[in-house]
Amino acid sequence: MNDKRLDRLALVSKVWPWLFLGALLVFFEVWARISAHRSFIFNAYNLQSIGLAASAPLLLAIGQTFVIVTAGIDLSVGFVMGLAAVCVAQFTIPGGGSPWVLVLSIPLTILVCLIPGFVNGVLIARLGVPAFIGTLGMYGVARGAGFLAAGSGMTVAVDNAGLAWLGQGWTPVVLTAVLLAFMHFVLSQTKFGQYTYAIGGNPQSAVRAGINVRRHLFAIYLIAAAFAAIGGIVYTARFAAGAANAGEPMLLDSIAAVVIGGASLFGGTGTVIGTLIGSLIIAVIEFGLVFIDVNAFWQFIVVGVVIIVSVLIDQYKDRLGGAQ
Amino acid sequence: MSDAGAMPVLEARDISIRFGGVEALKRVSLHLMPGEVLALAGDNGAGKSTLIKILSGVYHADAGELCFDGRAMQLRDPQDARAQGIETIYQDLALADNLDVGSNIFLGREPTRRKLGFQVIDRPRMAQVAREVLERLDIVIPSRKLGGPVKMLSGGQRQAIAIGRAIYWNARVLIMDEPTAALGVPEQRKVMALIGSLKAQGVAVMLISHNLHDIFAVSDRIVVLRRGEVAGERQVPHTNGDEIVRLMVGDTWANGAR
Amino acid sequence: MLRIVLGRLMALSTIALAALGALPGVAHADAAHPVVALLPGVTDPFYFTMYHGAERAAKEEHVQLLFQVPKAWNTTEQVPILKALIAKHPDVLLVSPVDKQQMIAPLKEAADAGIKVITVDTFIGDGHYQTGKGDADFPLSYIASDNLEGGRVAARALAKAIGDKGTVYCEDNKPGISSTDARVQGFMDEMKKHPNIKVLETQYNEDDANRAAAHVAAVLARNPDLAGVFGANTFSGSGAAQGVKTAGKQGKVKVVVFDAVPGIDEKISSGLVDIAIAQRPYDMGYYAVKAAVDAIHGKKIPAYRSTGFVVLDKSNIDMPEMKVYIYSN
Repeated sequence: MNDKRLDRLALVSKVWPWLFLGALLVFFEVWARISAHRSFIFNAYNLQSIGLAASAPLLLAIGQTFVIVTAGIDLSVGFVMGLAAVCVAQFTIPGGGSPWVLVLSIPLTILVCLIPGFVNGVLIARLGVPAFIGTLGMYGVARGAGFLAAGSGMTVAVDNAGLAWLGQGWTPVVLTAVLLAFMHFVLSQTKFGQYTYAIGGNPQSAVRAGINVRRHLFAIYLIAAAFAAIGGIVYTARFAAGAANAGEPMLLDSIAAVVIGGASLFGGTGTVIGTLIGSLIIAVIEFGLVFIDVNAFWQFIVVGVVIIVSVLIDQYKDRLGGAQ
Repeated sequence: MSDAGAMPVLEARDISIRFGGVEALKRVSLHLMPGEVLALAGDNGAGKSTLIKILSGVYHADAGELCFDGRAMQLRDPQDARAQGIETIYQDLALADNLDVGSNIFLGREPTRRKLGFQVIDRPRMAQVAREVLERLDIVIPSRKLGGPVKMLSGGQRQAIAIGRAIYWNARVLIMDEPTAALGVPEQRKVMALIGSLKAQGVAVMLISHNLHDIFAVSDRIVVLRRGEVAGERQVPHTNGDEIVRLMVGDTWANGAR
Repeated sequence: MLRIVLGRLMALSTIALAALGALPGVAHADAAHPVVALLPGVTDPFYFTMYHGAERAAKEEHVQLLFQVPKAWNTTEQVPILKALIAKHPDVLLVSPVDKQQMIAPLKEAADAGIKVITVDTFIGDGHYQTGKGDADFPLSYIASDNLEGGRVAARALAKAIGDKGTVYCEDNKPGISSTDARVQGFMDEMKKHPNIKVLETQYNEDDANRAAAHVAAVLARNPDLAGVFGANTFSGSGAAQGVKTAGKQGKVKVVVFDAVPGIDEKISSGLVDIAIAQRPYDMGYYAVKAAVDAIHGKKIPAYRSTGFVVLDKSNIDMPEMKVYIYSN
């Protein structure tokens, strides 16, 4: 295979998530125009709905990206999100509806939810437990903690003007976008990001290079927990109630978004922007299928196929790279 | 041959270390002159890896001392060794496969610049240094592969990058563990040529190798270890493969310049 | 080379999309082609039976019926589908909200967009609509079984079955769902009138039959004299029945289940389940669509419509006129 063709294929495999997202949008737009005489894309409500649907799993996926780049995985993010949703509700209620209580309740929630991240860090960075197993433990603990914190109901209703503002309209989408931009910067431009990739590629070489791998991995799992907490807070803001099982469907979505975005589960590759595209692809498929009146269960199949294709392309990318 | 005066750049005196009940090294002494290539030969288990781990700060000897440029040296950890100018290239190269050439050269010591009030990695500088280092070593890597992960490069090129990393950081001593073990013949020759050019630049090289051919192609002196002790030391022009093998295996016990 | 091709592709698609943008767009469903959307709570024969009833009414009234089902009984599953349906702008939305508190804001969006909202089976707020009070006031109607009464019916049936004395408890999905909350409430209220019956704490299984079965085993372990279990919804009931069977207590522990799922006739005949309180989801779907059409034509519809129950037990389960009340896909 000559160089030019290699180059072309390498380029396609690098940008394929973008191409696919574009193709999806075109597909739904055309179908919507023809069958329902309305636009899919040029509609603020649709865009907002897709943005909102994408923002919750995306917040989890941002943290998950960092974890997966280090060749780890965090299975606890879904239930940490639920724990956060419940906690922020419980901490905000005593404030009696005043938005100022959020100055206390939101940081406190994030702090409490850093505990699972801390435990994950100890297990994985310090004690060398494989990430899958370590975070599986916190999956259960956070789940139980969330339900306990919710008391006898599984949701805790809260009525707070500040939270309501945070959860309405475009606000959650904007918040997610800002956080995303910042974390993209961190992963791609800073030493912290560079070391994240190094640890994922070759932990031994990172150690030899003088990088404090243990401390770094600790930080990674704290980041994952923090973003899960933010996801939970946004949930409670949107629905005026914190549900302990809020994040349950989100765990696999977060991993899928990262994988579709081009990261390898073996670590060393992946970008925050890729994760963004991955989660947009999933959100567009889910919204679009309902919009064109296809049974929503097809979305399982479609997303599954997209994951398989991403993984295959990822393998292929490797082989392209290895050829000389 | 050394040409920088009589002071060895690195010297080990009576180094001993034991692991549990096993005495891995027993009163091992050797020295290394600037611009010299010293081969460390010996059968499996002779203590070669242990010795270089002591020289690079990974292990601490139980007895004996190390000197650098004639001054006593304490190595607490590998970072200390690197700070002194002793760079070690292990068999696995310790390269991050998913990062590019520049990132690997600078891993752990990245240059930064200010951007929007943040410290960001200065990638253009890293890329430029990568080009310079490769040029200095006379390695050709097509530019489209230069920005990509080092995984895409051949074994010899990766070895070259590991060496390039060492000399960029002004290594005075370069310790290499089986540099050609995983390479094909043409690449072995290239690496040997690289070592030759390092020698010309005044870097002292210590080489562990099983490959007698390589040893004789590039080394000035050979120290043979057998069961944790120095079995013999020979100048390359005055010895041959058979003698070295006999020293490794135990037929000859002789210390001396011949 | 590839970059040029990609560039051209991008330019072409931009032009194409812009051209599409110029096409006359937006056409709401108009009065000649009314559209009604049905969004139940989760996949369940109950809701599919409701769908069949709705389908029949839709055919009779010549309306287009959209139907989408959430994957799980969870706000995060129902809301995105709701939003996608809102984007299609049906005339009326028939919905079974999965949480009486959390779904208020999302459904308000639908109402604000001009879509009429009718809730079936579950409600938001307190279920009393169009009173002028509260923020969950906007739906036009609530069509469902009177779940409070259903709970009372179940309690009476269970009390009778256990000889009006003994220990019982409720197996429920999760709190916050209007329908099951009301059933449990009705059950508890009615049992207060039976002084010789002791009611233990309700167990929540999150719609997981396995968990319900495990709960029964645990409660039996701690109260070996347990006389009866009330399964407040489909999976609670089937799980409880399985748990009783596994413990070998079939017949000794009476099982009353809400909802007549497919196979309930065998379960009653075999004694696995003693009594089933069948709702009438077919009627719910049917009347909901009829009410929707009335609303589209500007007629006033009642704010509440109850669809009644049928009590199924060994005495009547084999009769063909009773079999129609069993839910089906």
